[in-house]
Amino acid sequence: MRILLAAGLMLASALTPAFAQEGKLVLYTSQPNTDAQQTADAFMAKYPGITVEWVRDGTPKIMAKFRAELEAGAPLADVLLIADVVTMEGLKAEGLLLNYPEADTTGFDASLFDEDGAYFSTKLITTGIVYNTAATMVPASWLDLTKPEAKGQIAMPSPLTSGAALIHTVTLTDNLAEGWDFYSALAANGAQASGGNGDVLTAVAGGEKLYGMIVDYLPIREAAKGAPVAFVFPTEGVSAVTEPAAILASAHNPDNAKLFIDFLLSEEGQQLASSQGYVPARDGIALPAGYPDRAEIKVLPYNAAAALANETANKEQFGEIFGQ
Amino acid sequence: MPAALVLLAVGFLAILPIGRLMATALFVDGTFDASLLLNRLVRGATQRAIFNTLDTSLFGALLALMLGGPFALLIAATDMPLRKLQGFLLILPLMIAPQVMALAFMHLLGPSSALLGALGLAPPPGTANPLLGRGGIILLFGIQHAPIVFITLRAGLVSIPRDYVEAARAAGMGPARVLRGIVLPLLGPYVIAAAALAFVSGVGNFGIPALLGMPENYLTLATLIYQQLSSNGPTVLPQVAGLSLLICAIAILGIGAQGLALRRRQFALTRGMPMQFALGRWRWPAAMAGMLALSVALLLPAAALITTSLVPAYGVALSTATVTLDNYAEVLLRQASTMRAFVNSSYLSLLAAAILALLAVPLALGMARLPRTFARLAHGVLELPYALPGIVLAIACILLFLRPLPLLGSLYATPWIILIAYLMRFAALALKPVEAALGQLPPDLTEAAAASGAGAIRRLLTITAPLVAPAAAAGALLVFMSAFNELTVSALLWSSRNETIGVILFSLEESGLSPQAAAVAVITLVVIMVLLALLDRLSGRLPTGVLPWR
Repeated sequence: MRILLAAGLMLASALTPAFAQEGKLVLYTSQPNTDAQQTADAFMAKYPGITVEWVRDGTPKIMAKFRAELEAGAPLADVLLIADVVTMEGLKAEGLLLNYPEADTTGFDASLFDEDGAYFSTKLITTGIVYNTAATMVPASWLDLTKPEAKGQIAMPSPLTSGAALIHTVTLTDNLAEGWDFYSALAANGAQASGGNGDVLTAVAGGEKLYGMIVDYLPIREAAKGAPVAFVFPTEGVSAVTEPAAILASAHNPDNAKLFIDFLLSEEGQQLASSQGYVPARDGIALPAGYPDRAEIKVLPYNAAAALANETANKEQFGEIFGQ
Repeated sequence: MPAALVLLAVGFLAILPIGRLMATALFVDGTFDASLLLNRLVRGATQRAIFNTLDTSLFGALLALMLGGPFALLIAATDMPLRKLQGFLLILPLMIAPQVMALAFMHLLGPSSALLGALGLAPPPGTANPLLGRGGIILLFGIQHAPIVFITLRAGLVSIPRDYVEAARAAGMGPARVLRGIVLPLLGPYVIAAAALAFVSGVGNFGIPALLGMPENYLTLATLIYQQLSSNGPTVLPQVAGLSLLICAIAILGIGAQGLALRRRQFALTRGMPMQFALGRWRWPAAMAGMLALSVALLLPAAALITTSLVPAYGVALSTATVTLDNYAEVLLRQASTMRAFVNSSYLSLLAAAILALLAVPLALGMARLPRTFARLAHGVLELPYALPGIVLAIACILLFLRPLPLLGSLYATPWIILIAYLMRFAALALKPVEAALGQLPPDLTEAAAASGAGAIRRLLTITAPLVAPAAAAGALLVFMSAFNELTVSALLWSSRNETIGVILFSLEESGLSPQAAAVAVITLVVIMVLLALLDRLSGRLPTGVLPWR
């Protein structure tokens, strides 16, 4: 029996490279344009027969586009690469994802992929605090954002625009003793919640705001290019999303999609993520410059199932506090 | 036959989309039910958006009057030097995409402004960009719509005969009194019409409130619809159809006011030599002041855009050490989506321009043969999709083409839906020059041909078509430029692989890649300038009145 199984596995692995390796792959992603292009380029360099076509938008918008296409009876995407697991859970529950249990998840923590192989985390993206280097106060704690020095100087992404921002809100309200009062205090301190992480970067790097809540890689990467920004991992800890990838049940090119998932999870794909400035999900890959040791990054826990169940209520509560 | 063609074109290009929108917004399962619309109306966010729309459009229109009015007076009715150049420059904001304009001004005035920084004038870090929110939107509406005021007022000014002014001067009135007592009262209806047009353009504008309002949660109706639809998908279509009907209603009020103001203008005055004031020693000071104002409004923001496109990351000061062409390389050579957008926008605009140019000739001929009232009605209806906000048209198109059609399937998520929307939107733009050319065509030519036995089609192909071809080409170029630059329609209609330049620009800015967005904006500016130069070269062969700056 074990020999049979082993033989089967060997056969399967021998067959893997026999996947299509030509044709197209349509990727819907929330990665910034530059990263999406680099990922597509690296994949196409490895599989010259496959052409990757990608579309980028914020997670809620890309999902709206996907659903509109579904409604029109013409879903185009093969692979989704979006901010958060919560959205993936919802899609899985609706039967919209294709399970790929054969994917090689060596070096990945079991919590980083779905047990049925419906989706796979590709990196760790934390949300912390960015500040303009011209600011007088260097924030260390989330609560510093409610201080008078930060009054009217905070930009943050809206959970209505960004998938990472929604999880960030849920994580902070669950873990901080102040709960939703923290957000009420932020609103009272004149914090402005709108748009996505890119808008926060523009506001803080451009000096229009001095502080912001933002995903780690944007300010760390821009600071390396000379932008006047710095990133802080607050003492209480940070929230994190894992940018999962999944194959859609409606995929036109499922074989190419599997190759793409394999590529994202491979050492090569994870090295690429690291070189783009992300914390890779796979063990044994060095973190990019500008990050502390991975052990020093304190990630706050959050409950994905509860987050999915309360998604609408959380968005509404946020909207109420910030008058949206 | 011509009547059938006109009916078909008007029905498909104008009545179909607007009728479909009204059906969705006002009928539920076939019965009239305005409750969806009313439920929307009572919500705080909707009411704020209505107020913001009226507020910014109204004050924007007043500012446009204040900016465009003096220019119209100086350029159309005085002997100021550099008039032609200033007229040309003044038209530019109309040709530049609103989102490019907004981007340029934001980079000019924020704390990280490379230009102001070099002069030591940049506001300190921690100062909000003064352009974000209500004030900035009004300012840019004013600048963007000043050309509309200029064109409308100039048309009024050249129709005031020189005799009136000369008679008044002979009777001993000074120039100021002539202006106040004769010119302004005669111009009154044009002022109202200009303000109404500028107001309608503000109501429909998406690019400016999207870049200047949305980062601050300052929403107008157009951006509210975009936000609702982009984060909820087609499930909210019935509700946003109601909102777009609301925009429609506000816009139609404005268009109505304009029509009413100009109702009997053509017959009021006899044609003569248009008036001209001599400025005397004020000629050059006036010209210099005009050039100064134009450079503040155009050159400075363009320079700011260029400097932003040359820095490696937003917030970095431009210096010989930091200057880089990498953003151009990234958007032109590396990013598939941006390259695709340039191809898509060129392709869709070219197709729309070609189809409309071909359609315009028989359509204009058909219009000319129709009874006068009917033709005017058809004209008015055909102009609606151009005058109404683009977002309204986009929603109408989603409603029309989301469900699969027999033979065609669903057009949603294909480039064809964008093409069809462009055809609807820009038909009026293509028709106008051809009609002007037809009107100036001497009838003897076709009559002679008919007398020598040439049939209708032969006359069309050998006589009329070649003679109106330059006008059709000019119309096509106008369509191309407008479509190449637009965001309002495609913001809702784009899908994977069918992104347009406007969409890409907006998306790059949203993902924090401002320098790359600036690079895309600079490239589109160059394309538009080249096309404008081309059009200007063509002007010798065009009927008068086709090119607004001539």
